[in-house]
Amino acid sequence: MEPKKELPKFAVLQLSGCSGCEVSLLNSNEWIENFDLVYMPLVVSSHKIPDDVEVLLVTGGVRTDEDIHNLRKGASRSRKVIAVGTCALSGGVAQIREAHQARQSYLDASHRLRLPSMLPQAYPIDRFVDVDLYLPGCPPTPELFITALTEAENAKIASIVCQECGRKKLPDMRPKALTGSRSGVVLPDICLVNQGYFCVGTSTRGGCGALCTRPGHACVGCRGPANPYLNKEPSFVLDNLRRTFTRMTDIPEVEINEALDSPWLSLFLDQFTDYTQDDALPKRTKEKMI
Amino acid sequence: MTTLTYPLSRIEGHARVVIDIYDDEVFRADFQAMEMRGFSYYVQGIPAEQITVIVPRICGVCSTAHQVASVKALEDIFDVTPPPLAEDIREVLLLGQLIQNQATSLFIFTMPDRVNASSLFEMEEEQKQRQFSMAQMALKIRKIGTDLISLAGGQFIHPIKTVIGGVTSGIPRQKADEMIKTIDTLLPTAVEMVDHYWELSMIMGDRIGSWGDDEPSYYLASTEENSLRLNSNRIRVLCPDGPECYNFAPYEYQDYLKIEMGDYSYAGVSSFKGKHVMRANSLARINLAHSLDMPIADAYLKRFVETFGRPAHAIMFFDLCRGIELVYALEKARKMLEADLEHGQTEVPYSPRDGEGFGLVEAPRGPLIHHYEVENGLIKRADFVIPTVHNMLAIRRALTVVAKRYVSPQGIDSELEKAVGRVVRAFDPCIACATN
Repeated sequence: MEPKKELPKFAVLQLSGCSGCEVSLLNSNEWIENFDLVYMPLVVSSHKIPDDVEVLLVTGGVRTDEDIHNLRKGASRSRKVIAVGTCALSGGVAQIREAHQARQSYLDASHRLRLPSMLPQAYPIDRFVDVDLYLPGCPPTPELFITALTEAENAKIASIVCQECGRKKLPDMRPKALTGSRSGVVLPDICLVNQGYFCVGTSTRGGCGALCTRPGHACVGCRGPANPYLNKEPSFVLDNLRRTFTRMTDIPEVEINEALDSPWLSLFLDQFTDYTQDDALPKRTKEKMI
Repeated sequence: MTTLTYPLSRIEGHARVVIDIYDDEVFRADFQAMEMRGFSYYVQGIPAEQITVIVPRICGVCSTAHQVASVKALEDIFDVTPPPLAEDIREVLLLGQLIQNQATSLFIFTMPDRVNASSLFEMEEEQKQRQFSMAQMALKIRKIGTDLISLAGGQFIHPIKTVIGGVTSGIPRQKADEMIKTIDTLLPTAVEMVDHYWELSMIMGDRIGSWGDDEPSYYLASTEENSLRLNSNRIRVLCPDGPECYNFAPYEYQDYLKIEMGDYSYAGVSSFKGKHVMRANSLARINLAHSLDMPIADAYLKRFVETFGRPAHAIMFFDLCRGIELVYALEKARKMLEADLEHGQTEVPYSPRDGEGFGLVEAPRGPLIHHYEVENGLIKRADFVIPTVHNMLAIRRALTVVAKRYVSPQGIDSELEKAVGRVVRAFDPCIACATN
């Protein structure tokens, strides 16, 4: 048996999040043989990230003062940092749009004794440390984890969700309202936009295997915007979606605009465009995206 | 005063145990959640129909239960009844989650305590020469759960197939048959591992000299007496001395469960009728079950009751009950997959309307209720009634018992740190959910 220490050290730092990314990672066994897992409190009794970590996965957003401390410490001990999931890339639920009042009542309710303090907002991790690779998704599939860990350089990722969906776009099937989900039936094999669903797969980065749209649920954009929209201002991706719905449907513009103001989009698809407005954040190039 | 702080691992989320000692005596043991998720704040004002996609994100471990509870709460408001086929597919989905969760708790979280390892993967290193590699087997059994969730829910974390009015699509025959084959192959392995776990637990109990003695408590489960149906409708309560003494609908929960926030934790704490300690999770369901209606699981249930009595109260029994439930869920899922889950009506149309509604499911950690108020099509208020919160008083009390056992005028026994971990893991708390 090879001595264990020859395998590269691998650590998983969970900031404020739901553990979904960790649960997904646990479904992809390949890394077990290729790495020496030195830190991942969900499955290993270890309370300290050791030195000389080869790959550090960071999940969750920066939500507490303790998160900042752990993130900086972990990154300083690691050669490569991979940001994983919606929260690490954009902060997560605290970034639902127009939530100023909610944010205030949340902060008012979050004073505790002897516990980490909650920050006024949730931050993506690249506000505090350099990130080598971004793996968006809520959560990323096990297959995407393997791609990020073993073959990031040669990764071939579908450009948009539609490429992997297989549902057919029909030019003559033009819904008049976005009420597909209320109809009580999903027609198989036909594009969900044609059926009056608010599906944003046309602008969303692929690679997920169209897990949601194939069984009949609209894409909510959890993989973030496709490459052409990276680092573009928020209106760019919204305009593109507006054009898609105008081209494919007869839905009134006011209803489309209302849908574009949806919390789904602010939580998921906007996860990059939000931050193009913030000078403190580095650009995220397509070379760094999985 | 001396304060001992123990960070915790092999549980969901960020938490720690703090024990205060005055004059060589344990004054207080506390279980503290270290983060605050805040979903109940952030979902205020969002379109009601979008909440079913957002709230699974409360917790990646329990996302299935949140998704179904959320959909059921809106169905309650919109007055829509899903077709029977959809109810069955939701049950398969929840069984998948039970398999995933119990396999994770048994083999990834708590098995290392029984063999003095820091993780399942470290154990694997030591046991490579064994006939089968325990870690690989554990992950395979766990994967039956995640595959079932994918089959019935579309994806295994934050599933999407459960929608208001039903489910988006059925389970194809061919996929169901593949799943049945996998279960048939791995069920004997699961039984073998549960037996092994049971045996190691007995050895550990003998070594420690205790199974975690504690006072009797109330028990809370929404499963039925002769069925462990997880897509549930009512909550049952067992009184500390044995008989089932209350039975209530989700909309009545505030009459029975009092939930308060504390100063030292981001998680709430609930009590039964404002004063009593209660317990939810595996031991509550098993104490409240007379039959599981599945042959192998029923044999385990019989063995458990004959060995430990009913109701059983020791803390480590939670772990054994998870083993029984793992076997149950594998048997039950196999049986359900034999039926035709592909053809027939999977959903019905609905019209949104305002109102107040409640959605209940039996999550792996106990009864979970989503309680919403919808006004002008928007969420006005959302309360998440979380099973881990119902266990908080019981966790604290159990920690106090264990701290007293290992703290004396002669000093602090080094076993305390391990004991604290074992006690918390027996309750399998979920911090993300508890701080929603």
